[in-house]
Amino acid sequence: MKLELRDAVKRFRTATALDGLTLEVDDDVDMVAIVAPTGAGKTTLLRVLAGLDRLDSGSLKVRGDDVTGIHVQKRNVSMVYQKFVNYPSLRVFDNIASPLQVSRPRPSKTEIERRVHVIAEKLGIEMYLRRYPQELSGGQRQRVALARALVKEVDLVLLDEPLGNLDYKLREALRSDLKQLSRERDALFVYATPEPIDALMMASHVAVLSEGRVVQYGPTREVHAVPRNAEVGRRFSEPPMNLLACHVEDGVLTVGPALRFPLDDAPSDGAYLLGIYPHHLHVFENGPPEPGSARIEARLEFAEVVGSDVTLRLTYEDHTMLALSDKIRSYHLDETVTVDVDPTDVYLFDASNGDLVRASDRGRRARG
Amino acid sequence: MARIELSGVSHRYGNDEWAVRNVNVIWEDGVASALLGPSGSGKTTVLDIISGLLRPTEGRVLVDGRDVTGMNARERNVAQVFQFPVMYETLNVFDNLAFPLRNQKMPEAEVRQRVEATAEMMGLTGLLRQNAHKLGAAEQQRVSLARGIVRKDISAVLLDEPLTVIDPQAKWHLRRQLKALHERTGITMIYVTHDQHEALTFADRVTVMNLGSVVQTGTPTELHDRPHRPFIGYFIGTPGMNLLDAQAGESGVSVGPLTVPYGADVTKRLTGRDALQLGIRPEYVEASPQPLDSGAEASVEDVDTTGHSLIVHARLGEEALKVTMDEAASVVRGDTLWIRFPVEHVNLYSEGERIEVDA
Repeated sequence: MKLELRDAVKRFRTATALDGLTLEVDDDVDMVAIVAPTGAGKTTLLRVLAGLDRLDSGSLKVRGDDVTGIHVQKRNVSMVYQKFVNYPSLRVFDNIASPLQVSRPRPSKTEIERRVHVIAEKLGIEMYLRRYPQELSGGQRQRVALARALVKEVDLVLLDEPLGNLDYKLREALRSDLKQLSRERDALFVYATPEPIDALMMASHVAVLSEGRVVQYGPTREVHAVPRNAEVGRRFSEPPMNLLACHVEDGVLTVGPALRFPLDDAPSDGAYLLGIYPHHLHVFENGPPEPGSARIEARLEFAEVVGSDVTLRLTYEDHTMLALSDKIRSYHLDETVTVDVDPTDVYLFDASNGDLVRASDRGRRARG
Repeated sequence: MARIELSGVSHRYGNDEWAVRNVNVIWEDGVASALLGPSGSGKTTVLDIISGLLRPTEGRVLVDGRDVTGMNARERNVAQVFQFPVMYETLNVFDNLAFPLRNQKMPEAEVRQRVEATAEMMGLTGLLRQNAHKLGAAEQQRVSLARGIVRKDISAVLLDEPLTVIDPQAKWHLRRQLKALHERTGITMIYVTHDQHEALTFADRVTVMNLGSVVQTGTPTELHDRPHRPFIGYFIGTPGMNLLDAQAGESGVSVGPLTVPYGADVTKRLTGRDALQLGIRPEYVEASPQPLDSGAEASVEDVDTTGHSLIVHARLGEEALKVTMDEAASVVRGDTLWIRFPVEHVNLYSEGERIEVDA
C-alpha cells in the first residue's frame, strides 16, 4: 500500500505538531515504525493518516489516490490505541464484529461469523468469543482490539503504542503476531512507539521523528547501522547510543586521559561527539585487549537485568556510559570494571550540529 | 540482623483452597533476596507470614532459630515497605523518621543522631525540614524506607513491590539506593515482586513461587542457566528458553534430527520417562553455516534484530527454535544453518520437572 504524505503541517493553538513532515512509503513495505519520544507528533501523524485531524497544509495520498480532504468514515483505515478500547457491554464476538456491522455493504451474517472466527483464531482468542472484555486480562483485551482492527480489509492499520501497557513477555508474543499479520495483509501497518526495540523487532522500515519532522527514514537495520545524526543514534537504540565529547588530532581520537586510539579515515582535527552503541563497550574481558582495541577502567554505578542482558551504567571521568553485557550475575556497586573499545565500532558526529561525520565499519558496509 | 526460616508453612484463608503449601525456605542473615512470582502465586501471603501480619495455618516461622510463629508484627522487629509510601503527611521528614524512635522513648540526642545518619544514607539530608506531603513519589518512598530502617533493632526489611508508583526515569536511582543500602548495612532484605527484571537486578538469591509453592531458590545465574521448571526458563530471559519435545534413545536425547549425546547411565534413566522436554536458551544454541559435530540442519524461517543481536527463528524437524546470533552474522530467511546444543547448556524436563544429569 503506497503512502505519500508531503509537507504536512498541523498546528494547534499553542504548538506545531507536524512541521512540514514528508513520509513516502513504498508499496512493498509491510510495516513502518514511527519512532519518537512523547510529544514529537506521533499521535497527530496517526490521526492525520486516519482522517481524524485535517492538515493545515500538505497532501496525503494512499495507493496513489489523494485523500487529503476525505473524512475518516470514508477512509479505509483502522486504529488501535495504547489503552484497550473495547465496548464493555458487548461480548468479545460482537466487539470484533462491530466494524463489519457498520460497513456498507454489510457482509452476510455467516460471512461476518466466518471472518470473526478466522481473525480470533489467528490472535489466539477464539475461546473467549462469548466473554465480555472485562473478564479478560490486559493482554487478551489488547488482542481483542487488534482483532477488531484487522477483521476488515483496510488500507492502513494505525497502531498507537498498542503494547505500551503490557508486560514484557506479552509484548514478545504480540510483536511476533503483529509482524506475521502485517506480512499476510495487503494493508500498510503504521506502528507508532517511543521504543526502538518494537521497531527493530517488527518493522522493515522506520521513520525517526523529531519536532514534527522526519529526521531519517529507511530500512530499519540500515537506520540503526547508519544514523544520520547523534539524535537518531540515541533515539533509535535500546539502550541508547553513548555520546561522548572527544577530540581528534593527527588521526588520534581522545576521550579523557585514558581512552586514546588511532582512527582510520579520521576527519580533520577538532572536537567531535563519539558515538558508540552499548553492546560495543566490552566489559569484563579476560586477558589483554584485542589488538587495536583501547582499554579503560570505569566505575560501575549500577547493573540492571533486562531480558537476557544486563545494562551496566558506568562512569569514566565525568562521562556516564551504558554498556550491555550478556552475563547475568550479581554485581557490586562501585566495582571497577575494564571496558574495551574497538575503533572500528566508533561513530563520529559533528560537535555543533550532531550530523554524522564518520560511520562505524559495519555502518559503512551496510551503506555499501 | 537475622536469619529467617519458614518450616513446613501452609496457609489457607478460611475454608478456601490452600493459598500456600508446604513452604520451606531459609533467608540467610544479611542476604539481599527476592520473592518472585506471578499474581496469585502466594508471595504476598508468604510475606505477611514473615512479617507477622498473618499466622500460618500450619508450620513455623523461625528468626535466628527462635520460634516466632505466635508473635505479632510489632514484636518481630521486621520493617515493611509497601507499594504506596506510608508516612505522616502532616509531619516533616525529620519527624517522620523520628516517630518510631520517640515511640521507643529513645533520648532525643540519640534520636537526632540516628535520624541524621539514616537520612544521610538515604540521600534525604537536604529534605529533613520539608513537609512529607510536598515530596514526589520517589522521595516519599525513600522516606518510607528510611522510616523502616531507622530503628536499631530491625532484624529484616521486607519490600512489597516498592517501585510500583515510581516513574520509570526515577526507578534506577531508587534501585541503586536500595542496593547501596543493602551493601552498607548488610541487613537481611526480602524484595517481593512479579517483575523478573526487578528481582534479578536487586537480589543475590531469588525464590520463585508459583501456584502456592516454592519452585526454585537460587542465584540469578542459576535461575537463568538451570531453571527447575520450564515456566521459569520461559519467563526469565528474552526470548525465553526454547522448550522442545524430545525422545530418549540409546545414544542420547533427540529433538527431531538432532541428538545430544549422553552416556548409557543417563539414557537408561531417561527411557520410559513421559513428556520429555529439552530446554536450551537461544543464546546458548550453537549455529553455523558449516556442518557441526553432533549437529543437524535447520531451516531459517525468519530473522529479527534487536540492534545488538539477531534472533533467528529456525525449524528443526517439527520444532520451532529460536537462536540468538551476533548482529554481524549474515543470515536471512530461507538459509540453512547447522545447529548444535552444547550438552553443558541443555536442561532436561520430564512432566514439567527438571531431571538432574551430570553433563
